Amino acid sequence: MKASKLSPKSNEDIRIGVYVCHCGKNIAGSVDCADVAEYASTLPHVVLSKHNLYTCSDPGQETIKKDVKEHNLNRVVVASCTPRLHEPTFRRTCEEAGLNKYLFEMANIREHCSWVHLYEPEKATAKAKDLVRMAVARSALMEPQEEAVVPVTRKALVIGGGVAGIQAALDLADTGYKVYLVEKSPSIGGKMAQIDKTFPTMDCSICILAPKMSDVGKHPNIELLTNSEVTEVGGYIGNFKVKVLKKPTYVTKDCTACGDCVDVCPVEIPNEFEVGLTWRKAIYIPFPQSVPARYLIDEKCCIGLGENTCAKCKEVCGPDAIIFNDKAEEVELKVGTIIVATGLDVFDPVSLMEYGYLRFPNTITSLEFERLINAGGPTGGRLVRPSNLRIPKKVAFIQCIGSRSEKRGNPYCSNVCCMNTIKDALLIKEHWPDVKIYVFYIDIRAIGKGFEDLFRRAKEAGVIFIRGLPAEIIEDRKSKNLWLVGENTLEKEIYTINVGMVVLSIGLRPRDDSGKVQQLLRLSKTSDGFFMEAHPKLRPVDTPTGGVFLAGCAEGPKDIKDSVTQASAAAARAGILMAKGKVTVEALTPKMLPEKCMGCGLCARVCPYNAITVDKEKKIAKVVEAACAGCGTCGAECSFNAIEMRHFTDEQIYAQINAATEKDADKKIIAFCCNWCSYAGADFAGVSRMQYPPSVRIIRTMCSGRVSTKFVERAFSRGAAAVLVAGCHLNDCHYINANYQTKKRVEKLWKKMERLGLDKNRLQLAWISAAEGAKFASKIKEMQRIVEGATKEEIEKTVDRMTPKKLQVTA
Amino acid sequence: MSTKKFYSKKDGKNMLVPTSAQKLKIITDKLQKSEKTLSLETVLNKILDFEKLKNCYGCGICTASCPVAKLLPEHYNPRTLLQSLPTGDEKILKSAELWLCAWCYRCYRRCPQSLNLPEIFQALRRFAVECGYMEGFHKALEIVRDRLPLLGSCCYVGFHPERVITNKQLIKEAIQHTIFTYKAVKRKAQPITPAYRDKVAIIGSGPAGLSAAHDLAKKGYSVTIFEALSSAGGMLRRCIPEYRLPKKIVDFDIMCIKDLGVEIKTNMAIGGNLKVNKLLEGGYDAIFVATGAHEEQNGRIEGEELNGVFHALEFLEKANMKEVELPNKVSIIGGGNVAVDSARTALRLGAKEATILYRRSKGEMPASPWEIKEAEEEGVKIEFLVAPKRILGENDKVTAIECAQMELGKPDATGRRHPVPIQGSDFVIKTDSVIIAIGQFPNTGFLPEIIEITKQRTIATDPFTLETSSPSIFAGGDAVLGSGTLMEAILAGKQAAFSIDCYLKGVTLGPLKFAERTFGGRK
Repeated sequence: MKASKLSPKSNEDIRIGVYVCHCGKNIAGSVDCADVAEYASTLPHVVLSKHNLYTCSDPGQETIKKDVKEHNLNRVVVASCTPRLHEPTFRRTCEEAGLNKYLFEMANIREHCSWVHLYEPEKATAKAKDLVRMAVARSALMEPQEEAVVPVTRKALVIGGGVAGIQAALDLADTGYKVYLVEKSPSIGGKMAQIDKTFPTMDCSICILAPKMSDVGKHPNIELLTNSEVTEVGGYIGNFKVKVLKKPTYVTKDCTACGDCVDVCPVEIPNEFEVGLTWRKAIYIPFPQSVPARYLIDEKCCIGLGENTCAKCKEVCGPDAIIFNDKAEEVELKVGTIIVATGLDVFDPVSLMEYGYLRFPNTITSLEFERLINAGGPTGGRLVRPSNLRIPKKVAFIQCIGSRSEKRGNPYCSNVCCMNTIKDALLIKEHWPDVKIYVFYIDIRAIGKGFEDLFRRAKEAGVIFIRGLPAEIIEDRKSKNLWLVGENTLEKEIYTINVGMVVLSIGLRPRDDSGKVQQLLRLSKTSDGFFMEAHPKLRPVDTPTGGVFLAGCAEGPKDIKDSVTQASAAAARAGILMAKGKVTVEALTPKMLPEKCMGCGLCARVCPYNAITVDKEKKIAKVVEAACAGCGTCGAECSFNAIEMRHFTDEQIYAQINAATEKDADKKIIAFCCNWCSYAGADFAGVSRMQYPPSVRIIRTMCSGRVSTKFVERAFSRGAAAVLVAGCHLNDCHYINANYQTKKRVEKLWKKMERLGLDKNRLQLAWISAAEGAKFASKIKEMQRIVEGATKEEIEKTVDRMTPKKLQVTA
Repeated sequence: MSTKKFYSKKDGKNMLVPTSAQKLKIITDKLQKSEKTLSLETVLNKILDFEKLKNCYGCGICTASCPVAKLLPEHYNPRTLLQSLPTGDEKILKSAELWLCAWCYRCYRRCPQSLNLPEIFQALRRFAVECGYMEGFHKALEIVRDRLPLLGSCCYVGFHPERVITNKQLIKEAIQHTIFTYKAVKRKAQPITPAYRDKVAIIGSGPAGLSAAHDLAKKGYSVTIFEALSSAGGMLRRCIPEYRLPKKIVDFDIMCIKDLGVEIKTNMAIGGNLKVNKLLEGGYDAIFVATGAHEEQNGRIEGEELNGVFHALEFLEKANMKEVELPNKVSIIGGGNVAVDSARTALRLGAKEATILYRRSKGEMPASPWEIKEAEEEGVKIEFLVAPKRILGENDKVTAIECAQMELGKPDATGRRHPVPIQGSDFVIKTDSVIIAIGQFPNTGFLPEIIEITKQRTIATDPFTLETSSPSIFAGGDAVLGSGTLMEAILAGKQAAFSIDCYLKGVTLGPLKFAERTFGGRK
């Protein structure tokens, strides 16, 4: 068999080709690629070494294919960008050349080298050589693997019933797939249902949304689960097991929505749909167009539930649809793909005390404005001042409330507020042309199709735009009018403007419960708190978790059109997976070596997926391949070397450590970074060109849980000055909780170092997410001081005490 | 670096200015030391978070919040000053604008990007001093002299030149020089004879009352100030510690006001025998109430009556009169500037340890960050998230405070996160003395009932005209604001003087004019 021919033991058979990519000037700008290629040709097993301008281009790939055939290469190493970008590309190239894709290895000399050492070309070149040496050393030990094929369940789950969720569900259902649409609140519709008109076309929001909502309700392929929450997500791409909790509504499907119950209900509480501007009863329908069009009882305030006996609604209910003993129900769904469309929350301006929201009755938010101007709202569409219920003569809009601010809300631009305000201003002008309107802004962002036109229309209609935000609002105690005091920064003049009503144009923010969704689905968040896409340009609706896609404002603030576009994109992406019906899973699962296994069960105990079973009698552990996700924490835990992690074997990692520490080990940091968060974080530092000392050598593992104490000991025994173990934040681990094992192991190592009289500071543990490039860079800067502080004696002492005794004996 | 050696006495006068030859030497020395050209930009990069500086969106909130920008609109605009910094123009270092920030931190508190303007300007002041550019400082003093009342107090407790110029003598002499030139000019001028028959009574001789008197006297009204205490000056005299404001300076400022023909009647408390209405009947045509906020929150903490417990203002007053001695360990309850002043004063009076107990965290502390920093440098300890429950004592003498550990909950109506006690976290701090500085409010008891009082126990006025609910009575300063800075008090005084002038002349301007007037208007 070919595999045996390629086995690492027969060294003379290994033929490695190395390709160093210039990436235009991206790499060649600070790394001497020709020098690196020449150096690579001197490394063991390397039979061919080239450098070219763009290795990923068609001619670049063709060269590799030709060389594999001509020079009979059986390993390919490309030194270019991050494997998170082009590993799939080059793996395909290798396969086309007849080489197993697991015989391909990448050295990341762009994100981890040239971009982060822009001004130190010599050091960057030396580091690039190290990285290539590490890749070559690992590649010599790589083996061909066969990937498992798993079926994809042709059903989808959409979480969130706003416009994005509705669109995604309809698209998938129309394609012919079964869709479960889970919505937390009693009706679908989301924030769009609350808005009066949409920009830039000024369509009535609910008029265009309601037909879609009712389509969802009636679609034979859609099962709608409102008033429900996802509580548990298990499984993996193509085969998710999802638990959904259906909360009781106390009203059966027999409800005819006649509304007789509402008249008799004695409880009144603020109406959430109307943003608290009016009241609703304890038995209620969220809004007239609700889907499902069914009443429900709010258990938090109903006085008929439990031991109380109000029951007035039950008495008048004609179809007898009210049941007080309704119970929560848990349903389990099996789906192949999941679309996350959980939406957004709005910023609460209470903390901006200068603007007096809640203190001044005539200061309202833009969402409250939508309900006031809406014909179906509490005032029948009359924009009235809350203080005296009269239409104001002057209205001011204040932009960037809770947006573009380091401390007053969020640092990002909320994307929709400028256009929303312009639309609102035009709406007022349409109904009451004499009302004078001021808009206080910093920048007006009218970047979409038709937006500039709308902006111009607003100016033509007489809306006054003033650059400069009010510093404070002062209320006139008698008239309840509001004085706005600020600087007109274009005129360098202080303005004092008196208006009857102020609308705070509030920004959008991630939902409060998005952390829960994040943990359920193992998603990542960007620094602004929204969910992170797998690639910001090329995979904008995919998440790092296979089979999970994003739609709408869960991914970032966006308007209705963008939400709908993204929802359709997510539906298409999920559809591709389900149409294929099967998916290959990377061959990263462990191989148990029965001859070494003692059946101790440690591996089974640390496995986050319960994918290992131990046969107590035969004293042997077995892996359930379908359940295993390949984190490798079992491999790190096994003290008998009885577990071999495919494609991330101990020997491969040792080879990388050895190669990294071959020269000047006492000036280097060996960093073990997990693929999903920390390695991606280091990539992000590179993309952002954050400069840090060139002493670090990064070794990638799928999870930080793969990092065995032996790896760290090996790095120290080879004389490394410092070691960093970096993973996802605790509770954000992509393998449920495997990084808790990382924490435990590092703590164990610290204790050991203390016991051996070593400086435990030289081993650092860091939780760095994919969005925390700056944190990675600063961690390396911080560790550089540790490297500089490590004395020769200290390092020698460490080498001596960290070298396993067994090895010393054999030596 | 000591600046002293670079300066020499010029023309035998008291003012110190570097000679041009010395100035050149400083700069060339610097240039030789650093390889690169010593430019404003390189300094900005070094001492400031320069990239962050570029984060300014130019929203204008800083300028619109700034009391100095309102008082001196043609001389000071923090936004344009900040935005001009990245140009690296050395003219900025010579400008008076750099020296006109009065450290109220309102801009920083409201800045959406948390740009710390006072400290950015301070770093540049220091750089200007190191480069030998003192023109700005002197020009700023001249502007203050020409445009603001209470020259000496403004220089000392307003603009704080001592925070960058380590040479105290230099500041003292510069301020004195400005004062002397002021005196020389004023003394030469004829005393103003009232141009109008109208008489104005001002109740309270603090900075708000004094500056209103200053403006009104200059406009030609005869002004009488009624002061309840034995000497004029209000908070300036009563509570600002001597180390921050020498009382001689207050005397000088008051003398300047008196020179304008203002009569100050001390020991004349309004209320009791002399009612506000009597003043009106007795020939005064308008009244300005500027009584400040001198009442302290009482009865809020159990054990307040024990020996060794002081209320902050009472304590500061006694300290100024040197009537108080402190034992070893002092605990101060509160987080405002008064609390910080009390702690620093306590240390100066010989207390071995002064600890501030504040129930929120540092970010929410209302005291100005620089005061906190200076206090900490002097050895004041601050315990955050600690709220006193009661003061414990033995034999009528304070021994300890029982406290609860707090955590921050949701933002309350003030926009700050509300502290919530952690269950079962009570603990005891041993102490020999307690100073309670949990806020002051105005005494409004002497006012006629017709005058409306707000929920916060301050006098309700029109925000721009400062008119109370009684037409001829105006009010301003801490009596309306609750608590404010010197600049705000001066602003209120000037605002009141303008409104009273309009009122007495029978001019109706409409609120917008007043609003514009109050907030500086065009630059």
